[in-house]
Amino acid sequence: MLKACRFGCRCTLVTLGLTIAATASAQITKAPTAASWAELAKLPDFGGVWEVTRGPAPAAGTRPAPPEQPSLTPKYAEMLKAYRAHPPQDSVAANCVPPGMPGVMGQPYPLEFIISPGKVTIIAEAYMQVRHIYTDGRPHPEDPDLTFNGHSIGKWEKDTLVVDTVGFSKATSLGAGINHSEKMHIVERMRLTAPDNLEIVTTIDDAEALTKPFTRTANFARHRDWTTAEYICQENNRNSVDESGKAGINLTR
Amino acid sequence: MKTILMRSILAAALVIGVAQAHHSFTMFNNTAEQTITGTVKEFQWTNPHTFTFVDVTGADGKVETWGLEGMSPNYLGRRGWTKRTLQPGDKITVTIYPLKDGLKGGMFLRCKLADGTEKVMFGTPPRQ
Repeated sequence: MLKACRFGCRCTLVTLGLTIAATASAQITKAPTAASWAELAKLPDFGGVWEVTRGPAPAAGTRPAPPEQPSLTPKYAEMLKAYRAHPPQDSVAANCVPPGMPGVMGQPYPLEFIISPGKVTIIAEAYMQVRHIYTDGRPHPEDPDLTFNGHSIGKWEKDTLVVDTVGFSKATSLGAGINHSEKMHIVERMRLTAPDNLEIVTTIDDAEALTKPFTRTANFARHRDWTTAEYICQENNRNSVDESGKAGINLTR
Repeated sequence: MKTILMRSILAAALVIGVAQAHHSFTMFNNTAEQTITGTVKEFQWTNPHTFTFVDVTGADGKVETWGLEGMSPNYLGRRGWTKRTLQPGDKITVTIYPLKDGLKGGMFLRCKLADGTEKVMFGTPPRQ
């Protein structure tokens, strides 16, 4: 599908006829209707600004289970070992490169959820990133472009929004030195466990990088009195990391 | 070091947990708080970090300008700070984590203004 779109884009420069043929296979976003807006009122209320929290306290006298760690295939374990042998002083985030998935969902700055007909939009305040989650029944592209946040489709299973994301740029990572392949696939199960507590259970699989899928749970608290702020990282970024991994800070006024 | 946020940042080897927002804090010596006293030259209320420049007069009368990296406006704005919290000319005592490389700079933790007002930018104030 995406190949056709790319073809179509080139065709606009060539002939109108070919453009129409190519566009016909593109995914059409339906115009919203009064009924489709009304349907949203039946969904759980995910709207608003959320901040990641440590989650509910464990039951008295118990300790929370340690979070599951990714189990790397030998090739990716070797890459991690090589990274740790010569770790850079900082990541490229110091140069304002945004994290992409899955890191974009774990920033210490809030997420804003906007639900509209056929789509859930997540705005991440950190680096002003946007995730577009299509809930209109469309499939993933057959050959998605590889992007920082991937291509997301979602469906409601009762009160849980299940988000399926593929097509990740290899510029993103699962953690310092923990790489993934183009086959990475992320499923997020999002639900309200209390009126103002959003739980997101994230399962990551990658047949090339991981020996088995691993799952993490995150919790978010809603702040009705917050709005999402501007965050232009390039505005006054005095931090840096160079190609050799050396970090710097510019104190020139 | 005492805040939940800081513990989370340090504990998160995986980005799927709570990641650091922008950059590593390894350039700062977070084991030795330092206090500097001077006059605010400029308070830059900008992303990804606020920067406070403070003129500090040494024992020899020489004035040196310190550059202090602070938390971002979005974070501080939710904790009672505004772009006018620090004004040029304010007499100020700032507690910082100094840069490891010895340059006149550091990470802004908290400050006390001339009228005694204390403002916390990062971490929690020490117990009295």
